Amino acid sequence: MAKKLGFLVNIERCIGCHACEISCKSFYQLEPNMRRRRVQELPEDVVGTPVRAFVSTACNHCDDPACKKACPVGAYTKREDGIVVHNQDLCIGCQMCGKACPYSVPMFNPVKKKMDKCSMCYDRLDVGQLPICVEKCPLEAIQIVDYNEVQPANAVSEIPTFADTSITHPTTHFILHKPGKQSRRF
Amino acid sequence: MDQTYSITRHVCPRNCYSTCSILGYTKNGHLQKVTGDHKHGYTKGLLCAKGYNYINNVYHPDRLKYPMRQYPRGSGQWQRISWTEAIDIIAGKIIELNHRYESNLSLALNKYSGNMGILHHAMEGFFNGLGKTSRAVGNPCWSPGMDAVYYDYGEHQTSDMQDILHSETIILWGINPVWTSIHSLNYIYEALRRGAKVITIDPVYTETAKKSDTYIQIKPGSDGALATAIAKYILEHDLFDREFIDQYTVGWEELRDYIDQLSMEEALNQCGQTIEAIQFLAERLAKHRPVYIWMGFGMQRHRNGGQNIRAINALAAMTGNIGRQGSGAQFGQRATWKFTYHILNPFPDDKRNKAGVRPLDINDFANDLQKQQDPPVKFLWITCRNLLTQSANVEELKKALQTLELIVTVEHFMTETTQYSDLVLPATTQFEEWDIVASYWHHWISINQPAIEPYYESKSELEIARLLSKKLNEYKDHFSAFPTDMEDEQFIEQEFTDEFYQALHIKDWRELLNGPRRVDVQKTAWGTMEFKTPSGKIELFSKQALDNQLSPFGMGLMENGSNPLFPYILLLNHEPFRINSQFQNLTSFKKISREPCIYLHPLLAKEKGIQRYSMMKVVSEKGEITIRANFSTDLNQQTLVIFPNHPLVNKLISFTAADMGKVMTSGKGNALNDLHVNITKLC
Ligand code: SF4
Ligand code: SF4
Ligand code: SF4
Repeated sequence: MAKKLGFLVNIERCIGCHACEISCKSFYQLEPNMRRRRVQELPEDVVGTPVRAFVSTACNHCDDPACKKACPVGAYTKREDGIVVHNQDLCIGCQMCGKACPYSVPMFNPVKKKMDKCSMCYDRLDVGQLPICVEKCPLEAIQIVDYNEVQPANAVSEIPTFADTSITHPTTHFILHKPGKQSRRF
Repeated sequence: MDQTYSITRHVCPRNCYSTCSILGYTKNGHLQKVTGDHKHGYTKGLLCAKGYNYINNVYHPDRLKYPMRQYPRGSGQWQRISWTEAIDIIAGKIIELNHRYESNLSLALNKYSGNMGILHHAMEGFFNGLGKTSRAVGNPCWSPGMDAVYYDYGEHQTSDMQDILHSETIILWGINPVWTSIHSLNYIYEALRRGAKVITIDPVYTETAKKSDTYIQIKPGSDGALATAIAKYILEHDLFDREFIDQYTVGWEELRDYIDQLSMEEALNQCGQTIEAIQFLAERLAKHRPVYIWMGFGMQRHRNGGQNIRAINALAAMTGNIGRQGSGAQFGQRATWKFTYHILNPFPDDKRNKAGVRPLDINDFANDLQKQQDPPVKFLWITCRNLLTQSANVEELKKALQTLELIVTVEHFMTETTQYSDLVLPATTQFEEWDIVASYWHHWISINQPAIEPYYESKSELEIARLLSKKLNEYKDHFSAFPTDMEDEQFIEQEFTDEFYQALHIKDWRELLNGPRRVDVQKTAWGTMEFKTPSGKIELFSKQALDNQLSPFGMGLMENGSNPLFPYILLLNHEPFRINSQFQNLTSFKKISREPCIYLHPLLAKEKGIQRYSMMKVVSEKGEITIRANFSTDLNQQTLVIFPNHPLVNKLISFTAADMGKVMTSGKGNALNDLHVNITKLC
C-alpha cells in the first residue's frame, strides 16, 4: 500500500521557540521575509483557559491539494508517499496556488519571482535523513508519520484556527496540550 | 552536498545560558547557512531561532561597513572615514587628555555582556595597559545572587543538566527556560517521562509554568518569604534532614531559632500563597527527593534579591537537597572559566602609571560619571553594549554624555547609543574572528574560528586594541602596554594552562577545532561536599554576611517596600527572540513578536478604564512613559510586565541598590524588578 506521509505536531511538547521555522529558513537560505513553516500562538479556547499553546505548521501535504488543482502549468505533483512537491523550474510565479491553498502555504519569492513551499525535505527523506525542522526541533515536537500505517493515539486533525479540513484533506495531525494544576491566589 | 561548503566552528557569544556551538557553511567566501554542532554535549546540534537567524544578522542590509564619524554629535550627519583617520582621532584625544590631566583617568570604558568571548576582553586589556583609567564596574545581571551563593557555599557551581534525570521533583523557581534556555527543556521533559514532577514558582504564569505539573504564583520578590514559610512548615512538622544538617551545615540552631520567631501568617501574606501550597512544597522537598531547584535571575533583581537566593539555598540545605545526584539549588557557575585572563593584564612598564581603575558603578553610571571631578571623564569607549537602551537614569546619562569630548562606540549596527557617539567603529561578528567562549550554566568550552573575511572594513576588538596601542606608542614609547605584535592565536594560546588542558582532556587548544570539550568538573554540584566557605560547610548563618552589614541568616521576611503612590510592580522579563537590545532588527523576528507593549491583567485594565491596544500612561518615581496596553491573564492584578529591550522603559528606572553584589562583582546589583509604578489611561 502506498504511504500517506504527514506531519504529527505535538502541541503538548512544543514550546513555541520557532527553531523549526528558522532552521528550515537557514537551511534553504530563504529570503528574509520568507518561511516554509510557521509557529503560531493558539488562542485560549483551543486548550481551555487560561492555558495557551503554540502550533507549528508547514505545508499539510493534503490528500486533495488545492495548490495542485490551481496551478496552470502543472508545477505541483503528489508523490506516491503523499508528499506534495512544487517544481520551481516549471513555476511561472502566477501565485494561483497561494491563493487556492486554504492555509496560505505557498509563498512568493520576490527575488526568484516564483512560489516556494515546504517539500517535507523529500530529498533528505529519500536518503534516510529527517526533515530539518523535525531534526532541529529541540523538543522532538514534530514527527513524520505514515498515516496509512499508524493512527497515533490522541491525535486530532482539526483545531480551531486551522481552516476547514474538508476542502483539501490535510494530512497534518496534532496532539493537544494538557494543562497542569495551578495555585493562583491574591 | 556538504562537500562543496567549507565548514567552520563558531560559538554564539551572547549572554545566554546555552552558549551554543555553531557550524558555519561557507561557499565562495560567503556564509551560506548555519547549524548547530552535534559535538556539543549540552546543546547537541540544536540552536534556537536566534542562532539559525545569524545569516540575516551577518548580512543585514543595515550592518556597519566602515568607521563612521558623526559631526556634530547627535546631528545624524554621518561621514565615512578611514581607519587611519579614526585611530588618529582617538589616539590624538587620548594623548591630549593625558597631557591636560597628567593621567589617563579622564578615559573611561563601559563594556558589558554583548559578547562574552574571552578575546572580547581586549578593550579592558587595552585600558589596563594605559595604567589607571576610569571603568564601569559591577554587573546589572546577577550580582546579588553571586554574593548569596558565595556566602552560602563559597564558590559557584552548577550540576550537569543530565543530573536532572535522577530528580523526583524539579522546581523551576523564577526561571522561564522555555523562553531563555530552550536546550534545558529536553532534559526536563525526559525527567518528566521518568516520573519526576515539575513545579514552577513565578509571579507570572510563564510558558514554562504552562508546561509544568504545578504552577504556584507568588508576589514579585517574595521568593525568600515563600522559602521561609516552607521552612517554618518543615520545622513545625519535623521534615528537615537532621543528619545532613549536622554533617554539612553550620548555623542551624541560630537559623532555626530565628525562623521560629517569624510569623507564618506574615510569610503567607508576603508571598500571597496558601498554607496548602506551602504544605505541598514542603512535602515535595522532604519526601520526594532528590529535588532539583533551578533559580532564575529575576528574583535577585530586588532590594532583597541576594536574600531571596540565600533563602532558597538554605531551604535546599535543610532538606538535604544539596550535593546529591539529582538535587541542588542551581544558579550559575564560574568553575569552568579556568582561563588565565592574560589578555586583561598587559601591565605598563612605565612605573609612573599605576595600573588599576577608578570605578564607575555600571548600575549608577550616569551619576558616577558626573561625579568625577579630579579629573572629569572626557573620553568614553562603549563596547559590547547598547548603553542608552540598557541603562538606568537615562536622562541623566544623556546629560552626562554631553560633557564628554569624545565618545567611541564599537558596534554592528547604528543604535540608540551610536546617536550619542562621535565615532562608530564597525565590529566583526563571530563568523569573522577568533575567540573562545565558556558558559555560565553548562560545562562546555567552544572555539570560534573565522569563516569569512571581515565584513567590509569591520575589525575585531582585538585588532582595534592592537592598532590603537601601536599608534599611541608611535606618539610616545611605552604609552600603551597592550601587545601590538601578538597574533590572535597567540592571545588564545596564553589563556590556557596545563591544568586547564588536563581538565579539558586535550594537549593543545587547537584540538577544540575538532569540537567543543567539556571541562572536567563535578557532574553534581558540591558532589564532594567540600565547600569553600570559612567553615568549610554550607553557612546557614554567615558571619561574612554579618561583617558586610547584612542579615547573617540564610532566611527572613521582607521589609515593607510598598508605596501607596505607586501600587503596582512592573517586571522586566526577557523575551525569547531578543537578548536585551540584540536581534531587534531581524525581519522574521519582527513578524513573530508584536510591537513592544506593556502587559496587564484585563481586570486591572477594566478598573482603570484602559482598553486593549490603547495607549496608557505608566508613572514611576523616576519618570513617565506612554505605551500601548496589552492584556494578559498570566499576571495577577498588581503586576505588570514589559520586555526590557523596550528603550522607553529606561525612563522609569533609576538605581535602587539591591542588598548584595559588592563581594563578587565590585558593586551592588540594581533592584530592577522593584519597579513600583502607577498607571492611568491616556485621556
Ligand atoms: S497545505 Fe496548501 S500547499 Fe500544502 S498541499 Fe495542501 S493545499 Fe497544497
Ligand atoms: S519539512 Fe523541510 S521544508 Fe518543510 S518545513 Fe520542515 S524543514 Fe522546511
Ligand atoms: S522547534 Fe519544536 S518546540 Fe520549537 S516551535 Fe517548532 S515545533 Fe515548537
